[in-house]
Amino acid sequence: MVFNSLDFVVFIIPVFLLYWLIFSKSSVYQNFFLLLVSLFFYAWADWRFLILLVASTLINFYLGLKIHRTPEDRKKNIFLYIGLIFNIGLLLYFKYFNFFYEGFFEILNVFGAESSYSTLEILLPLGISFFTFQTLGYLTDVYNEEIDPSENLLEFSIFITFFPKILSGPIERAASFIPQIQEKRNLSYSVSVDGLRQILWGLFAKIVIAENCAIIVNPIFNNYENEPGSTLLVGAFFYAIQLYADFSGYSNMAIGVSKLFGIQLMRNFSTPFFSTNISDFWRKWHISLTTWMMDYVFTPLSFTLRRHQKKGLIFSIITTFVLVGFWHGANWTFVVYGLLHGIYFIPLVFSGKMNSSEIVAKGKLLPSIKEVFKMISLFLLIMLTDVFFRVDNVAMGLDYLKRVFSLSIINFPSIIIASTTIITIILIGFFILIEWCNREKKHDFEIHNYNIYLRWGFYIFIFSLILFFGKSSETFIYFQF
Amino acid sequence: MEIDVIKEKISNALVSILGHNNFEMHDELTAKDVDGWDSLSHMMIITKIEEELNIRFKLRDLNKLKNMGSLVSVIQSKI
Repeated sequence: MVFNSLDFVVFIIPVFLLYWLIFSKSSVYQNFFLLLVSLFFYAWADWRFLILLVASTLINFYLGLKIHRTPEDRKKNIFLYIGLIFNIGLLLYFKYFNFFYEGFFEILNVFGAESSYSTLEILLPLGISFFTFQTLGYLTDVYNEEIDPSENLLEFSIFITFFPKILSGPIERAASFIPQIQEKRNLSYSVSVDGLRQILWGLFAKIVIAENCAIIVNPIFNNYENEPGSTLLVGAFFYAIQLYADFSGYSNMAIGVSKLFGIQLMRNFSTPFFSTNISDFWRKWHISLTTWMMDYVFTPLSFTLRRHQKKGLIFSIITTFVLVGFWHGANWTFVVYGLLHGIYFIPLVFSGKMNSSEIVAKGKLLPSIKEVFKMISLFLLIMLTDVFFRVDNVAMGLDYLKRVFSLSIINFPSIIIASTTIITIILIGFFILIEWCNREKKHDFEIHNYNIYLRWGFYIFIFSLILFFGKSSETFIYFQF
Repeated sequence: MEIDVIKEKISNALVSILGHNNFEMHDELTAKDVDGWDSLSHMMIITKIEEELNIRFKLRDLNKLKNMGSLVSVIQSKI
């Protein structure tokens, strides 16, 4: 049941009413109801893996308590390792088994073994990359005594299964999530309305921007061998916008839905294309994944290698980004995507400028020429790298880019004068304009301080855009991860 | 070692890594308050402090650092 479906509307309205009218007596009632609804939501999406989700919740709950309550360091370590092996094992089995299995036989064949093999048909449990990262982070935090383990199975279960975030994040942290459900939540008009605003904006990003881009992108990528470089460049441009609008739209809807239940999820995107360098970009792109990788991979790794100065830092950055890429799926394309991003950091490490993180043109209406230049160059770099996110294999990605940089780049890309393309470009212009205006705010469509006429003008305008230009869609790019 | 001396050395480390001194040293100061002190520069700052004070942190020590006050007390426990 995707957020932009009629099913979801039929689901969410009674759930919202029951939550605030019937189950609002105490936090226990609220939590009990949320758990029930979350399990139903997950079962609706994929009932076959409900047992896996429940088992993972129970095992991690138990391990959290064990790690905390075991006084001896050696035994504490054992419980942590069991947890790490269990959670990473789940991911490796369901997501990466065939990748390594194939790789193993290919290496054998390189050495002349000529063995034949067939891969297993393993279904990917929905949301597994997201919820296992939450449990991994949780056990590590308990081990490091950053948090006390949850002593309440009901609360812990909601932390893992809470329906707005179970399928595609944001990847939450126990330290900020669990305290929110320990208290009784009270219905706040302003928070709920803000949630609805965020849902509206997410819906617009997803079904107007991302879906219209997809209509341009799909034929170009599917038929890239017969297109000139200029058209491929156009394809890469629209794909970069599609990817952003798809996932940031999803995240805004997830965060907005969660607000309707009085729970604040973490911000996942913070207008990432308004960045002037790559490190700035990653602070604003898929924030819940990047901060996770920073805390649980980069920090321990760079700490261990800190005596190696910049070499250690570069190695840690590249390893972290290869893992960021690989997290998305068992394909070399994602490894290349991560590796390239890691490499883009190297100049920053040497120039010492990787730490500058500022809102572009803070407090001003327009950016300077220099900032515009930096933002556009960075966007172009990211856009070309995103090609690896879309293609089926690395060879296709390289071939695609080779064609972009060939002489056929000087052909006129006839696709850009097609009426659908022109409409999409205008819609993207509006999308970018609103994001620019709200780049200093808490989310992309935080317009509560606009006057009432302007606010309603925006609601009606965006709603009409959705009605006129919205395309139905059954899935999100990030559901496959 | 005197707290003031420790603080001065921390301050030196920050200036040398971040390239500015737009911060005031007090116990409630956190990385967020200081321009450019983020997860990337953090490790370089930590290494610089180790060099300046001739100590070695453990990863667990790092997790305990919430503000300047806790940094100073972790360092004191190591000298």
